[in-house]
Parts: sequence; C-alpha cells; structure tokens
Amino acid sequence: MASHGAAPAAGSDAARVEVSGTGQTNQPAYPPFVSGDHSWSSSTGAAAAAASWNYPVANQSQDAVYYDPQRDVSVSGDNQNVASSAPPAVQSTMGLTNASHSHVPYASSLQQGYNPAEYANYYYNYPQATNSCSAQQGGANQHPGAAYQPLTSFQNSGSYIDPSSNTYYNAGGHQTAPGYATSNYYYQTDTRNDGSSGNNYAQSYQNYPSSDTNAAQSSSTVPANSFSYQQQYNQWPYYYNQSVPTPAGNPVAGSSNIDNTAVNTTSGYSYPSMEPPPPGTTPWKSNSGASVAPPVQVPSVPEPQNQYVQHAQVTPVLQNQYAYQAPGVPVAQNYYANQAPAYPQNNMNVNQAPLNNHGDQQKSGSLTTGIFSENKTQIPIIPRIAPGFSMVIPKSEKKIVGADLAKKPAYVSVSVPKNDGAAVQHGPDARSLPFSLRNYATRNLSRCKDEAQRAACQSMIQQITGKAISNGTLLTKNWDTEPLIPLQENLLTMTETSSANNSSSLSKSTPKRRLKSRWEPVPEEKVTEKVEQLAKALMNGNTHNNLKAQIRMGDSWNLGKSLQSPHTPSNKIAHRLSKKQKMGSYSSVVQNGNASSDSDKEKDLTKYYANASALANSPEEKKRREHRSKRFEKSKDSSSKSRNSAVNKDAGAHIHTRRPISALVTGSYKDGSSLAVEDMDWDALTVKGTCQEIEKRYLRLTSAPDPSTVRPEHVLEKALSMVETSQKNYLYKCDQLKSIRQDLTVQRIQNELTVKVYETHARLALQAGDLPEFNQCQSQLKRLYREGNNGCYFEFAAYNLLCVMLHSSNKRDLLSSMASLSKEAKQDGAVKHALAVHAAVSSGNYVIFFKLYKQGPNLNSCLMDLYVERMRFEAIKCMSRSYRPTVPVGYVAQVLGFLLNGDDRSEECEIWLKAHGAVLSVDNSGELQIDTKASSSMLFMPEPENAVAHGDASLAVNDFFARTS
Amino acid sequence: MAAYLSMGEAHRRISDYLSRLDVAISQSDGADLASLLAISSAPASTPLSDALAAFPDFARLAADRFPHLSDFLPLLLRAIHSHSLRRFGDAYSSFEKAASAFLQEFRNWETPWAMEAMHIVALEIRLLAEKADRELVMSGKNPDKLQAAGSFLMKVFGALAVKGPKRVGALYVTCQLFKIYFRLGTVNLCRSVIRSIETARNFDFEDFPVKDKVTYMYYTGRLEVFNENFLVADQKLTYALMHCNPQSESNLRKILKFLIPVKLSIGVLPRRSLLEKYNLLEYADIVTSLRRGDLRLLKQALDRHEDQLLKCGVYLVLEKLELQVYRRLVKKIHIIQREKEPSKAHQIKLEVLVKTLQWLGITMDVDEVECIMACLIYKNLIKGYFAHKSKVLVLSKQDPFPKLNGKPV
Repeated sequence: MASHGAAPAAGSDAARVEVSGTGQTNQPAYPPFVSGDHSWSSSTGAAAAAASWNYPVANQSQDAVYYDPQRDVSVSGDNQNVASSAPPAVQSTMGLTNASHSHVPYASSLQQGYNPAEYANYYYNYPQATNSCSAQQGGANQHPGAAYQPLTSFQNSGSYIDPSSNTYYNAGGHQTAPGYATSNYYYQTDTRNDGSSGNNYAQSYQNYPSSDTNAAQSSSTVPANSFSYQQQYNQWPYYYNQSVPTPAGNPVAGSSNIDNTAVNTTSGYSYPSMEPPPPGTTPWKSNSGASVAPPVQVPSVPEPQNQYVQHAQVTPVLQNQYAYQAPGVPVAQNYYANQAPAYPQNNMNVNQAPLNNHGDQQKSGSLTTGIFSENKTQIPIIPRIAPGFSMVIPKSEKKIVGADLAKKPAYVSVSVPKNDGAAVQHGPDARSLPFSLRNYATRNLSRCKDEAQRAACQSMIQQITGKAISNGTLLTKNWDTEPLIPLQENLLTMTETSSANNSSSLSKSTPKRRLKSRWEPVPEEKVTEKVEQLAKALMNGNTHNNLKAQIRMGDSWNLGKSLQSPHTPSNKIAHRLSKKQKMGSYSSVVQNGNASSDSDKEKDLTKYYANASALANSPEEKKRREHRSKRFEKSKDSSSKSRNSAVNKDAGAHIHTRRPISALVTGSYKDGSSLAVEDMDWDALTVKGTCQEIEKRYLRLTSAPDPSTVRPEHVLEKALSMVETSQKNYLYKCDQLKSIRQDLTVQRIQNELTVKVYETHARLALQAGDLPEFNQCQSQLKRLYREGNNGCYFEFAAYNLLCVMLHSSNKRDLLSSMASLSKEAKQDGAVKHALAVHAAVSSGNYVIFFKLYKQGPNLNSCLMDLYVERMRFEAIKCMSRSYRPTVPVGYVAQVLGFLLNGDDRSEECEIWLKAHGAVLSVDNSGELQIDTKASSSMLFMPEPENAVAHGDASLAVNDFFARTS
Repeated sequence: MAAYLSMGEAHRRISDYLSRLDVAISQSDGADLASLLAISSAPASTPLSDALAAFPDFARLAADRFPHLSDFLPLLLRAIHSHSLRRFGDAYSSFEKAASAFLQEFRNWETPWAMEAMHIVALEIRLLAEKADRELVMSGKNPDKLQAAGSFLMKVFGALAVKGPKRVGALYVTCQLFKIYFRLGTVNLCRSVIRSIETARNFDFEDFPVKDKVTYMYYTGRLEVFNENFLVADQKLTYALMHCNPQSESNLRKILKFLIPVKLSIGVLPRRSLLEKYNLLEYADIVTSLRRGDLRLLKQALDRHEDQLLKCGVYLVLEKLELQVYRRLVKKIHIIQREKEPSKAHQIKLEVLVKTLQWLGITMDVDEVECIMACLIYKNLIKGYFAHKSKVLVLSKQDPFPKLNGKPV
C-alpha cells in the first residue's frame, strides 16, 4: 500500500538513531511500522466497538485503550527521531517537545479520529507520521467519553486497593523492582499482575477527572474547548506509563525481564476486539469487578508450567491474530528466549519475532523520554484526584525521572545487542537456551522410566538442540508443541519421522513445496541445504510480513467497520482473521513441525480450525484433537460462531479445571461460547427450582438461572392450568407459557407436562395466528413425541402436514411428512382431513378446499385460515377464466366459504371481489354477477391493508393487540 | 484357520501385502493400488485378514518397514482387521484416517495416476460408513458415520474439482456424495456440488466418463422431480437412459422409475411391455387409468403403492395425474355424445358428468364437479367454457382436447 511510503522512511531513521547510540548494527528497521500498523487496526476497531458496547463488555473496550498507548508510543518515537536525530541521551529533553509536537496536530485531527465510522480517515492519516499520532489520540480519547464512565464508577468502589500492589501506577516498575534482583519467576509474574492492575488504576483514574469533559465532547462532536484538549493531552503521559511502566523505572539488570512483563501485559490487551476474551483478559474483568480478583490469578501463576499454561491459553486462540493485532507477543517471546526465560511461548512468527523486537525497543526507548517529562506535568493533578493516596506516589514520580535519565541509554544498549545476538546470529550460547526448550527437555526426561532411556533421551535432546541451533530454529521453534521424544524402543523410527517432519516443514516454506510426495522415498537433505532453505524461508516470510502488513492495512478498515455491533461481527472478524492467517502460513508453518494437512486448510475450514488451533503434537493432545475434530464434523452445519467458540475452547483446553467456574462466570455475558456444549456437565448445572409463585414473567436468561426464581414441576403444573383458565389475552398467555417453558428447560424436565405445555402454547399460537411461535412449539413437540412422550400426536401430525403443505410448500418436506405417517395416523380424522386438504390444494379444487375449511377438526381451520386468501384468489382467477359469460356472486360467495355458519355474507364477498379487481354487473333478474371476461384481465392481489414495512403484519403491535385481546 | 497360522507365515503375508502396496505407490500403479485398497468387498476371512489376526503387532510392523507410509499403512491394516472381525465402526474410523493420509498424498501427486485408487477409497468410505451406521443403529447409537463420510468426500471433491487433469475424477466423487445425501435425506447439500460441476467453464461436462455422467444425470434428474421441474427432469433422466449401459437392467429400471412419472405428467404414456420388462408394474394401473379415464383405478393404484411411491418421491407427481384422468373421461363422453347426437356433441351437461363419476363409485356433488371442469379449462387441458346458469360444459369446436405436447400440467 502506498501509504507505507512515508512511514517506513521515518522508521528506518529511528532505527538508525538507536543503533548508532548503542553501536550495534540493526538490520530490520521496518517492522516497527508493521506493528504500529497492527495496533492501529485493532484499536480503531475497538474504538468503534467501545462506542456501542455496554457494561458487561466494558473490560474489553478498556483493553482496547490499554493497547493504544503502545501504539502511540511507536509513532511518537518516530516523531521524535524525525524531528531531530539527536542521540538517545538528549532524547530525554526531547520528550517534552515531542509530546507537544504530537499535541498540536491532535487538535486538528480530532474530528477525524472522533468519528468511529471514518476509518478511512485513520487510514489516510497514516502516512503523515505526525498526524497519525494525533488521530490515534482522537480515537482513543473517545473511549473515556463513551465507554469509560462505567469504569470510573466501579473504580470508586474501592478497587484502588490492590492487595498486591502498593503504589499508584508503576507498581510493577518501581516498588517491586528490587525484587527482580533476586528475580524468580514468581516475582515476575506477580509484578506483572501488579503492573497490569496498577495500570488499570492509572488508566481509569485518568479518566475520572476528564470524564466530564469527555462526555461533553462526545455529545458535541466538534469540541473547540482548549481546556479539554489540555486535559486529554495530560492523560497521555499516563497511557505511556501504563504501556511501558517498567523500562522507565528499571534500575536493575533484569531490565528486559521487566520489559517482558510490560510487553506482555500490553500484548494481553491487544486482543480485545475478539469476541471471546482471551484468558488474559478474564482476570482483568474480575479485577475491575472486585479488588479481590488478583489473588485469584496469582495462585495459578507461580509454577513455571502454569505460567506457560496461561500463555498457552492466550496464544492458541490468537494464532490467527498474531498477524493482526499482537505485535507485542512475538517480542515477548524473544525476550523470553534471551533471558532466563519465564514464559515458553508458542513462538509462531519467526520472522516477526526478531524484527518486532527492535521496533518495540525503539518504542520503549523513545517512550521513556516522553514519560518523565510528562510525569512532571502530571504531578499536580494527582493530589487532586486521589488525596487519599500514600506518599509513595511523589517518590515514585521522582524515581521515574531519575531512573529514566540514568537508565534509559543503558537499557537500550543492553537489550538490543542481546536480542541481536540471539535472534539474528543464533549464537549457541548455553545461557540463551530458551526456557521452553528446557521445559521440553524436562518433559522428555520425566517420561523416561529407567537410566538407559534417560541417557538416550538426553542425547536425543542434545542432538535436537544442536540441530536447532545449527539451523537457527532454536528460538523460533515452538518447543512446547514439539512432539516428545519417543521412548527408547521406538526411538529410531520416530527420529526418522521427526526429521522427515523437519524437512517437510522446511520444504513447505519454499514455494515449490508440493513437488515431491512425502510417500515417495525421501532423499537425505544436507544441512547446508536446509540452512539455505531456511534463510530463503526467512526471506520469504519477511516479504510475507510486509505483504501481511499491507493486507492488514486494508483489513483494518473492514475490521472497524464490522465491529460496530459487538458480538456477532467480531465472530466474522475472527473468521476473516483466520482466513488471513493462511496468507501467513508460510512463515508460521516453519516452526510448526506439524506437517499435516496444509492443503486441507485450503479446502476445509472446519478441519483447518481444528488443526490450526491446537499445534501441540504430543500424543494426548493429538488424541484430544481427533476427538474435537470429530465433534466439529458433527456440528458442521452450525454457524461459524460455534466453530469459533469451539476453537477457543480448544485453546482453553489447558484449563480444564477452571471450566465449571468459568462456565458460570462467562455464561453471564458470553452465552457460554467459550465452552462446547458436550463438555458441560449438565447434571451438575441443572437447576432445581424453589420458586413457589405461579405467575412469572418471561425474561430471556442472560445468566445462569437462579434456583430461587425457577419454579419446580408441581408449581409449573399449577401455572399451566392457570394459563389455560385465564381470561387474559394471548400476549399475557404467551408470556406466561414462555416462562413455563423456560423453567422446564433449565430444569431439564421432559415429560408429559412438557408436552402439554408445548401443546397448549401451540394451540394458543394457532388461534392467535402466531405462526413463528407455533413453529417453535411444533419442532419441540416433534422431538418430544419422537422421544416417546405421549400427547396429542395425531392432532399435531395433522397440523404439521397442513403447515408444510400450506405454508412452506416444500415438496420434499411434504413427502417425508406423509411418508412418516403410520397406518393408524392415516385413519385419524384430523390427519385424514389434512390429507384431503392436500389433495384439494394440489388439484386446485377450491370447492372441496372450502368445504374442508368449514369442517376442520381441532384447529385445522386456523392453519387453513392463513391460506384462505391465496386459495380464493386462485379460485377467482380460475372462474373468470373458465366461466362464461357470467357467474353469480352468490354462488361464488357460497363456494369460496363466505357463507360461514349459514348466514348470507355475500356482501362481504362482493367487497372482496371488488377489492381484487373483479368486474361486477347486475343482470336482468337483479342478481349480482361477475363479468368473467372483463374480470379475467383485471384481477389483482391487493396489497394487504395491514401491510407493514418490515413485511410481517403480525409484528405490527397495534394490530396484534387488536386481534389477541 | 487363523489359529493354525504361524507367526512367520502371518508376518510374511502382511509384509507381502505391504510391499505390494509400497511398490504400487512407488511405481504409480493405480490399478494395482486400487485393488489393494478395496477392503469392504473382501469376505470375512482372507489370507491377509487371517494373518492380521495371527500377528497382532501388525501396526508396528507396517510402521517400521515403511516409515514414510506410517500415517497410512498401520491404519489401513487396522481397518482391514476390524472389517474382517465385523467391527465396522472401528473399521470405518481407521479407514477414514488412512484415507485422509491418502488424500493428503493424492493432492501432492501431480498426475492423476492414483485416480482409480482414490475412487476406490471414496467408494469404500461410503460402503464402510453404511455398514458402520447399520451397526450403530443395531447397538442403539446415533448413526453418524455416513454423515462423516459425506464430509470426508467433500474434501476429496475439493481435491479433485480443480483445474487440471484430476478434474475428470470429480464427477465420480460427486455421485458418491449424491448417494450419501439421498440416503441421509439431505439432498439440499447436493446443490453446492452441482453448482461447481455445472458452472465450470474450463471443463466440458461431456469430458467426464460416461458412467459418471449417467449417474450424475440420474440423481440431478431426481432432484428436479422433487422440485416438480418436469421438463428439466425429463431431459436429464432421458440423457441418463440413453447413455446407460443397456446391459445393466437394474440401472435402467432405476432411471425409468423416475422417468415414467415424469413422462406421464407431460402426457407421454409407456407401453405395457416396457413396464413388464423392467418390472415397473406399480405404474401399470396408473397408465391404464390414464388411458381409460378411470378415476377409480387411479385412486386405487395410488393407494396400493402409496408407501413405495412416497418413499421414492413420485407420489405427488402421480397424484397430479388426476386432472388428466378427468380430461380423458370428458373426452370419452364427448366422443360418445358425438356418435349419438352430433349436433350437441360439444355441449356436455354437468349432470352427465356427475352420473358418470357415480358409476365409477365416486360421489361428488355438482359444485365439486363444476369446479373440476373449471380447473380443466383453467389449466388448458380442455378448450371451452362453462356456462354456470345452464350447468353445461361447452367445448371448443376445434381441438377441444389439446395435446400436452410435453408441456406439464
């Protein structure tokens, strides 16, 4: 896309500045923009979503904002470097100018960013590096106005007190920083949590003072209030702080460790626009809901394995999204690889990982400069907002300033080379063995039963590691999904296959990957060849990345567009995203030793989802996957939504134990979509009602049913008889019956009472002409009868026949309905009647039809009612065509059923005929006649009087009331 | 016999089979490969299945000897073994996995040498799924294998319905899919497959193998019968009939079973000898009633074969022949009247019609008969008009009973 033109130029500039400062050669300069791009699309999407989201999903929109800062950061970094190629040390002073710099265009472009619909504007802004920054601000600023007010409210409810964080916002960065010196993972994750929660506060905190002005803004679209700008502008420092709290206050050597946490948290936020909140965000939700939540998360963290699990939750879900919104993740992965790594990751994007790294560092580097200067400006505000805060705040503020000035260059010079050394040169530094690999080794060793196996396994691991180092996949390989080394007896064959896997995955990365069949004997590939191929693959991947970025640019537009309503569209996005991932599969498949069904993906999305979601190749995972893919096939006709959710569930498979709880938790606002229906323990969840009230209004459940509002069976029986004897109108009865049905459903009662309720409702619906409701009942009844519950089977078989023949006119359905009738059923009066109606309709015999109409048993006539108009019109066309010269109106009234109950209603017939264009005349005997010849060309079907714009007259409320009361 | 088989012999047999497969693959011998993959036609006890029973570790043997086929051979052997034990559910599951591996490779082969084998795989998948479903129903479980086979064959179809030499084989898989969908009653799923076959610009339909074309036309013709698209149905079924192998009478019969009702509804009656030759005598009475205008016979015939006709989906078509029978009846009355009273031949009194119907044992009042006459005129089966006042059906002087000439009623 052309718009990249300007930006990359600036980006390369930025990169060089940094590099010269640290004395490193830094190859990839563009990717920062790729990442900037990502964030762009995701946050614009989120901006749109935030506007329309309501409370329950507020945490998602919140996340969206969290993400913004990071994005802003990258752009402001460019500004800085574009403005002056000053050495990093000077950048500290540049921060202020930079900030003000970005402030100016902000005013000008606010309107653009403000309207969530105008994504195009975002897009156009992009090439202008300075402008884009402000446009983003505009977009982000909208959040506080629109979506954040609810947040401020909960924030007031005491969520300031974070049990684990004792400082204001840089909790992770500063106060616990000493802890990093003794750094173990527990602490890190702890602080990570703290940091994130701290951010949370800082964030919402910020919104608090400015919410008024923001609200004003959102109501008046073009705010010319400079004060509000000031306010909002002041917010930004906080955003910056949130996104990179740690590099700022990082006095310890483990700087990039902390950076990990920062990036991690932000990367966690970058998924918000996805429908199912990734597990990373769930704690957020609870965090914001109650301040007790953080401890909930903490226990799950301490174990390294668990840490992984947590991430694993995130990553599989987001595989698709990597390409889009999660530039932060690969960065984090690489960090992990370098430092004594805490989070083994599913390292999906080889190419992206090292590249984005630099970008992020640039971001953080330039960011820090912004932070302290803006912190200064922010300080006066803080006491105003939170007078109750501890004295730690000013201290930490100072600390930031000091630490930043001192540490910032050091930070850059330390982490960049490390990164480079590991990621680009792939140096076989023993210390840089990724944690995931160690984990992998431990897992393998733990499987060994005796010493011999252990020794063999160890040597295997060494071999594998050596190979990985030599072909450069050490850090990029997904060790967590690597198949475990088989135990000794079948060691040989498996190594062979694994090498085959390797080679095939390699050959996959080259364009001509399908030339040779895997089944034909595999020639041994030389290592050098492999390396060459890999290099090629990397190159390929690189171009792919760029390409992807372009696609993403285009897609961001769509993204935002489709995000206007929060729920279903995001599914679509997920869908689209995953489709797009195919584009990136060349690069991602490289690490993925899973050589299976690449082309399957192109053909069958279902299968594809199953494969793509679970990359783990360990046997038990394989088994699980098979099980799941079977399940997908079963539900293949279900919508993409369910597929999607199935994928998510797949991803969440690592957290079995949390399911029942999360079922209840997520069920409240997610419709349980993170769970597959089959996996729910229905018995455990079935409610036993305790409510004793007979009358209950129907309310569609939005959460797990509360037993105190659910009526047990004997009360429901009373409720049913109450409805049956009630004198109230259909609407009331319908409401009551629906609530009875609901109570039956949640208690999983399926017996004669259920049948009775549905039958009663179906009959009432028929009488009121409420066909949709009737169909609902009918389909439930079909199932209930099939399962052997007794009821008025014949009566409803007749209704079913009539319904199919008169209203759906689907021949195959009719055939199957007729074929399914038993001999006894065909002897039943109602069914016979229905079959006779069918015969009359199929031969067009209106006389018989209206005779049957008059004598319909049960409610058969009610169903025929809905067909009467069509039949009459058909009849009058037939008559005007075949009768000559005239036909008396009296006769027509008689044959076409206008003479109900014997009273002469030929006047009504006359009106009807006139309304349909028939030409009437009086003959010499004084009898009213239809002039058939004249009429034959004049007949028309009038627009129904009660026609409504949406096409369904029965939905017109007034008319409905009139009919039913 | 299996019990007496020595391990060595079993090992030899299995190895023999495996190496034949391996050779077939490496030498691209499609026919041989196909014959080795046809497992469901095998009797319960074959030398191979006995060997598999005697050598339980066959999966590892296969994986060890042919590691490059390790995702295929063990599963295939397992499928054969399960099939010989009549555990069709297991056999299907194993075979489907093996088939996926095979499909994966099939995609990678540039030439369609293995088309024959792929077709056998498609056929086996369907047959095994049918057997497995029967087994599942017997044990009271939900029969879902055929559906699974359907989705697998969709994948196969996806691999074949591409540009290039493999497309020739796509129609075969389409037909297998049709068979599955018709059996499952999910014929609406056919639509997407049909679209991709019929809208293809780069491949002429006539280039497909004849046998597949016939099957395809048969099924799509049936679909058109469902939709009461009689002209298209006639066209397709006639194509199938003309190109069908004249030796395979059962196939001809199947085609005629649908073609005859279609032809009847457009006014073409078959000879009795045809019905006798292909044992389609359920239509004989209907044809006779059409010839004679014998409404009673038609109703009896429909009643008698109702279940059968409903099942194969032509009941509604035949039901509509009623009007044609009425027309025949009116025509007969008209002919008799012309002989008796040439001047008034074109005026048929309603009471005559009512009386005629009474003789046939059908009691209808005047209004109903009047309505039928109106319908006949309305639907162009009779030319003329009805005079309500005098209750007389007035026929047109020239050609009062126009021929249908292939037009459906």
